[in-house]
Amino acid sequence: MVSIELKRDRLLMRWKQQKYEWIIEPRYWRNPILWSLLLLVFPLFISGYPNILTMVTMANLYAAITIPLALQMTGTGRMNFGPQFYLGLGGYTSALLNLHLGFTPFFTLLATILICLIIALLLSPITWIAKGLYFSLITLILPLALLDLTYIFSDLFKGEVGLMGMDPIISLGRVTWNYVAYYYFSVFLMLLFLLVAEKISHSRFGLTMASINENEDVALMMGVNVNKYKVFYYVFPSILTGIIGWFIVHTFRTFAGVTYLPLDFMIKMLIIVMIGGRASVYGMIPGAYFVCFLEEILRSIGTSNYFVFPLVLIITLVILPRGEGLYGLYHKRHPRDYFPVMRVRRE
Amino acid sequence: MLTIKNVTKRFGGLTAVNNISFSIKENEIIGLIGPNGAGKTTLLNLLCGIYKVDSGSIRFQGKEITHLAPNQICHIGISRTYQIPQPFDAMTAIGGVTVAVINGKKRENMTLSDAGLNASYFLEFVGLFGKRDTLAKDLTLYELRMLELARALATSPKLLLLDEAMAGLNPGEAAKALDMVWSAQEQFGVTILWIEHVMKVIMKAADRLVVLQYGEKIDEGKPETVMSNERVIEAYLGGKDAEN
Repeated sequence: MVSIELKRDRLLMRWKQQKYEWIIEPRYWRNPILWSLLLLVFPLFISGYPNILTMVTMANLYAAITIPLALQMTGTGRMNFGPQFYLGLGGYTSALLNLHLGFTPFFTLLATILICLIIALLLSPITWIAKGLYFSLITLILPLALLDLTYIFSDLFKGEVGLMGMDPIISLGRVTWNYVAYYYFSVFLMLLFLLVAEKISHSRFGLTMASINENEDVALMMGVNVNKYKVFYYVFPSILTGIIGWFIVHTFRTFAGVTYLPLDFMIKMLIIVMIGGRASVYGMIPGAYFVCFLEEILRSIGTSNYFVFPLVLIITLVILPRGEGLYGLYHKRHPRDYFPVMRVRRE
Repeated sequence: MLTIKNVTKRFGGLTAVNNISFSIKENEIIGLIGPNGAGKTTLLNLLCGIYKVDSGSIRFQGKEITHLAPNQICHIGISRTYQIPQPFDAMTAIGGVTVAVINGKKRENMTLSDAGLNASYFLEFVGLFGKRDTLAKDLTLYELRMLELARALATSPKLLLLDEAMAGLNPGEAAKALDMVWSAQEQFGVTILWIEHVMKVIMKAADRLVVLQYGEKIDEGKPETVMSNERVIEAYLGGKDAEN
């Protein structure tokens, strides 16, 4: 028969020959299936509140932007201050192609990937030549330049108003159902990116990536083809970010550079990276959810929000243990897990 | 094995390495000595491709390596250690060596765990196996030097360049390190080019010595004969008068 027994640190359950155990301390709950299930069941309870559903969808998208960003920061060994550049690029590519040339969402996805690939490849040499602070400065300027372009050619890009009326990926007839469907799409994208980033960072390539983040010159002496790796880790996450732009275009059906390209969006992304767990890929999800919820809660207090929001974030950053962010609360780190050190300035 | 021919390297107006030629035979230990600023480390950096040679040629096993990138030079079998240890701070000892195992040589179908096993062999060899899960920033200087050696050996080199492997070690540790270098030569069959300031160690270890001063080679030969050369004594001690 089933017998349940409470040990010091775990709950034991025996049934015939089988034994199941459940460790009580939350940071040992490392079951990915559990968390994925939570993400999948969660919207069914809140489907009546579209604003919360939209917020959570946005949190998923933030996580899906920051997971490749974390990969990029370790892989190139540099802080990218403009991850939203490729978001804007992907968004505008798919929106314009859809509106003016009538591409279906599937073909705009292909076009987005292609355009992001080409632009990222053209820009990737900056990972070789820009040392120290300059990589961060260059990447900081790129999205702002794109934003200016959308103002200058406002006939095409519709400047501050933004583009509207793109084809949706899926249309279920009822608005609520659509919101739930978009939520599931965003979860799918997030988990897909997480899986890819996880597989990369826990393979031999991930170890090489860590060595590049630690010391490029020594890595080069140990036979790592640093230039090739840096191009890959610049281009691949850029494409993933572009895909999020495509997703935003075809779900929210409106895309304006003003929302995604300015500095405050970038700061939000970098805060998620730091608060989630200093560029460890799992940390991005709690980081994104934390920032989104905080924003939603503080919105009610009016203008003092602009003061309280950063204050809360700073306090959170300071009190989180060992500088490992929110993920550090949950995950007990094995010494062999590489935990990246982020430096803005490099030799 | 390695032939250096009329190699010159200038930094602006300063000629750091001037017209140096010598060659290294297989399974030799060559000591490269000279006073501070003689161009020893510059020569080493030229050999591993960090700096590009201005004129002259470097040939390794009959192949020109003057214009290869550092990672390609590592792949054909030249590996080095650093004068100031440069570990991967946030990585464990075994992590750093595993990076060298994976990337040092083309190894098809080597998984991460295979590479970890191989790396633990090198750590065991230098006596750091017990510290495999310690972060590199927490190691002592001696352990860091040994980690550097393990990392260099893990790329499976034919020629090992040691840059002041003994600097900052106490006599006991230096003796251990010397034994380590000898057994490395024996076990892995590496040829060693060794820059050293501790004369006692290099006199004991080296088969031949090459002496540099102001970027020029002033002598080459067996340690005893080199040490009786007047120019070498002058370079090191400042002439015969200085002794009195």
